[in-house]
Amino acid sequence: MSILEVKDLRVSFHTYAGKVQAVRGVSFSVDKGKTLAIVGESGCGKSVTVQTIMKLTPTPPAFIEEGSILYEGTDIVGYSEKQMQKLRGKEFSMIFQDPMTSLNPTMRVGRQINENILKHMTLSSKEATKRTMEMMRLVGIANPEINMLRYPHTYSGGMRQRIMIAMGMAANPKILFADEPTTALDVTTQSQILDLINDLKKQFQMAVVLITHNLGVVARMADSVAVMYAGKVVETGTAREVFYEPKHPYTWGLLNSIPDTANMNGNRELPAIPGTPPDLFAPPKGCAFAARCPYAMKACIKAQPEETCLSDTHKVSCHLLDPRAPKVEPYHVKRQKTE
Amino acid sequence: MAEILLEVKDLKKYFKAGSKIQLFKKPFYEKYYLHAVDHISFSIEKGTTLGLVGESGCGKTTVGRTILRLYEADGGEVLYEGKDIAHIPISSDKTYTKKIQMVFQDPYASLDPRCTIADIIGEGIEVHGLYKTKKEREERVCELLEMVGLNREHRNRFPHEFSGGQRQRVGIARALSVNPEFIVCDEAISALDVSIQAQIINLLMRLQKEMGLTYLFIAHDLSMVRHISDQTAVMYLGTIVEIGPTEEVYQNPSHPYTRGLLASVPLPDPDYEAKRTVRGMKGEINSPINPKPGCRFADRCEFACDICREKMPELKDLGKGHKVACHFTEKLNSKE
Ligand SMILES: Nc1ncnc2c1ncn2[C@@H]1O[C@H](COP(=O)(O)OP(=O)(O)O)[C@@H](O)[C@H]1O
Ligand SMILES: Nc1ncnc2c1ncn2[C@@H]1O[C@H](COP(=O)(O)OP(=O)(O)O)[C@@H](O)[C@H]1O
Ligand code: SF4
Ligand code: SF4
Ligand SMILES: [Mg+2]
Ligand SMILES: [Mg+2]
Repeated sequence: MSILEVKDLRVSFHTYAGKVQAVRGVSFSVDKGKTLAIVGESGCGKSVTVQTIMKLTPTPPAFIEEGSILYEGTDIVGYSEKQMQKLRGKEFSMIFQDPMTSLNPTMRVGRQINENILKHMTLSSKEATKRTMEMMRLVGIANPEINMLRYPHTYSGGMRQRIMIAMGMAANPKILFADEPTTALDVTTQSQILDLINDLKKQFQMAVVLITHNLGVVARMADSVAVMYAGKVVETGTAREVFYEPKHPYTWGLLNSIPDTANMNGNRELPAIPGTPPDLFAPPKGCAFAARCPYAMKACIKAQPEETCLSDTHKVSCHLLDPRAPKVEPYHVKRQKTE
Repeated sequence: MAEILLEVKDLKKYFKAGSKIQLFKKPFYEKYYLHAVDHISFSIEKGTTLGLVGESGCGKTTVGRTILRLYEADGGEVLYEGKDIAHIPISSDKTYTKKIQMVFQDPYASLDPRCTIADIIGEGIEVHGLYKTKKEREERVCELLEMVGLNREHRNRFPHEFSGGQRQRVGIARALSVNPEFIVCDEAISALDVSIQAQIINLLMRLQKEMGLTYLFIAHDLSMVRHISDQTAVMYLGTIVEIGPTEEVYQNPSHPYTRGLLASVPLPDPDYEAKRTVRGMKGEINSPINPKPGCRFADRCEFACDICREKMPELKDLGKGHKVACHFTEKLNSKE
């Protein structure tokens, strides 16, 4: 059963320069205890989508134009700030790329975790302190008695991310939203944080919505994947469907941009995606990827592609899936079978 | 054998990291030094690329900045075409500032927002007096823009009107403006999206082929480094722990740190990731301030023994120029 279902979500920012259509019809669902990864180039609307679910985007300038957000079957789009506050922290929790933006630099980390616990749970202060230490151990910080007393700046980036996770996990949330949680970290630290998130997911049957632009991270973490481009989900499916049977030219482009480490042949040119994403002030009438797509046809410029269901889980929006379209071979999606 | 353009020998750069007076003991004044770069050596052949990888704080940028003479070396030599330039002050000699250029990570921070693209690219040309007339200079700016895949019409725009990838192209055009031979690319693609990273890598490789450029390519993305580099050096806490021809290093990583680093990289293959058992390594990089004697990696190394904590291992050649600094290389390699 899906714990979260987003249907045709549209979000715009009303600015002086005009209306930015940041999210233009996004649908996906996440199951209990599973990870959904949202991938796509910067500016494609990943953060806005998740922030809208959490209601962290201020209105104005952000407006939900359309769509529904079902949490355990209930539409929360119309929820008041007070209702959302109950959900945030207790049911939903969020971690960001830069933990420093959400940590208070002048407060000892133990106290920050403690306050967060007391906000969501009714515990005596002694019990809360005990839980603080328990949470710190849970995320892999040894000697919490001593480390509680440190200030955020005395921690490394990886350790700060652990503290953020400890705060987020304090009230046993059902869904963890993680917006590029490891983008600023070294690969070694990234690997440790990803393992931690996976452990917590298993241990607490928590759903995870992970935003990243690193396809390696997606492959390690995701049960299902939503590929976003210019405010839309262009392809979604299980991780195996998206990596091994991708059907959208943008997904092909993303997969091909990664150097193929399995069979390197020297100075080969990387098949980069030419150009840059379109301006969301005035998104194109047809397929938003048309200007960069090697397979673009007349139909692509005229009309937006409809979603085609290839399986219960695999859905793709591209005119190439129309029976009348020419058959094309993906230029060379590699199945990177690493021994 | 090709000609060596740049050779770094026993390079050392320490930063003062404060000092501490210990009361109550004997009057005792202990100095603290941050060993950013500690006796490293490598050489780069003309027209090739050396990739430099390692966790943040291991000293990669300091190596680049010392080669550019933005920092003065505390020891060792930087030989450019055989001549030691490490101790020539940057102000007294313009030839090497022209020959050696740098491309930075953050295209936002490194371009002056008040200048047009033409001013930014033309600055070096002016400083070095490369073109006499204004018209010639303008023509050169247009040529450079086209070379990096931008339009000549872009020259009168300002940096904020460009995307991250385009700004990085401007940064590359600026570096190329003075006809350099050697370019230090310090995390030049790290802030960009994967698809745009591929565009910039292709551009750098094309320019290298066309102009015979030599690169020091600093990055933490191991797969991109593998793609662009002829040789790869792995740094840990100010030292080089492994260096050699790129494919040797990636296919037969022989230092426990290199192995851990490669094992940490998630690959875009869900089935592989699901059954992968070795994932990365424990712990975090130690403090580079007054490091303990012995191998810098000993605290995180699963193979560490007494000798590792006493004696710093030296780089040993395993053949084909593949060098590793570990007391137990032979033993570890023969185990498999
Ligand atoms: N506060 C804002 N005002 C106006 N536009 C915004 C605002 N926040 C985000 N946007 C726009 O919304 C789009 C999607 O942004 P975002 O969701 O942050 O992208 P991503 O997370 O995928 O990189 C971008 O084009 C961005 O410029
Ligand atoms: N100007 C400086 N003054 C003092 N310490 C510095 C300076 N520049 C770098 N360092 C220190 O030197 C070490 C190496 O830094 P750096 O070369 O920037 O590493 P990397 O580029 O590999 O991340 C770090 O511990 C850093 O804090
Ligand atoms: S709809 Fe047309 S332009 Fe868009 S991705 Fe498919 S083929 Fe390319
Ligand atoms: S010298 Fe010792 S501690 Fe250092 S990497 Fe080799 S085995 Fe590990
Ligand atoms: Mg974002
Ligand atoms: Mg650096």
